[in-house]
Amino acid sequence: MIASDLLDVPVLDDAGTHLGWVVDLRFVLDGSPSTYLAGARLHGLVVSPRTRTSFLGFERSDVRHPWPVAPLLRWLHRGTFLVHWPDVARVPDSQDDTDPDGRAVTLRTGYRRYEPGL
Amino acid sequence: MRRGRTGPRDLAREPEPRQPGRILDARLHLLDRQVLDVDEVPVCTLDDIELELVDGEPAADGRIDSSKPVVIAALLTGPVLGTRIFGGRPPASRWYRLAWGHVADVGTAVRLGVHGADLDATWLERWTRDHVIGRIPGGTHDPEGSG
Repeated sequence: MIASDLLDVPVLDDAGTHLGWVVDLRFVLDGSPSTYLAGARLHGLVVSPRTRTSFLGFERSDVRHPWPVAPLLRWLHRGTFLVHWPDVARVPDSQDDTDPDGRAVTLRTGYRRYEPGL
Repeated sequence: MRRGRTGPRDLAREPEPRQPGRILDARLHLLDRQVLDVDEVPVCTLDDIELELVDGEPAADGRIDSSKPVVIAALLTGPVLGTRIFGGRPPASRWYRLAWGHVADVGTAVRLGVHGADLDATWLERWTRDHVIGRIPGGTHDPEGSG
């Protein structure tokens, strides 16, 4: 599996309701230590309910300038949430290219939404 | 994808618990960054990330075992210009892998702790140096060298 298998993919809940699109993958460097950096564990998916992609991550940071770019982008991406990896039930099959329009990430019942801020 | 019902867009969000390590977002901090080797020599740009399910692979229908973490196995670079314009993705055999264990720092660029000349990702540069540039008269002369 590569990151492109998950990025920009629609996100559904267990009932098939469309929740948004995967706009980013969040990693936490808390894995096994190595010579340089610790292992990068996939912590969760950043999901935007309104847009298919993100731009410079204004909705995930405290940056307020330049005005009006930052407020506008923050407003465009309002409602963006983080869903933890254990709440993901199903991911697109990376080997299956037969139906690219049918690819989706499905979340588990009772998944939880978290603030996406960095 | 044809969308059926659209879910509520502004449900309440819980505060994110503090994580024990540094946080990196793939698009924000990694993808499309320049990769430098240990001597600050540009190696490539980071085109994709290879993810690895610890102790297993996803089921054939994409179901995953949430008890098993997913980690970054390698950073990928390859011929993505065409696929970014026309769609699709390069075959797995065309990717060049930079092991995550070789990544020394992530900042405005991704810095490796190894020499770029030892990596498969720079083979074309080495081949061009040896077979094209080196055959031009004076092509083996280093203008910055002592000679």
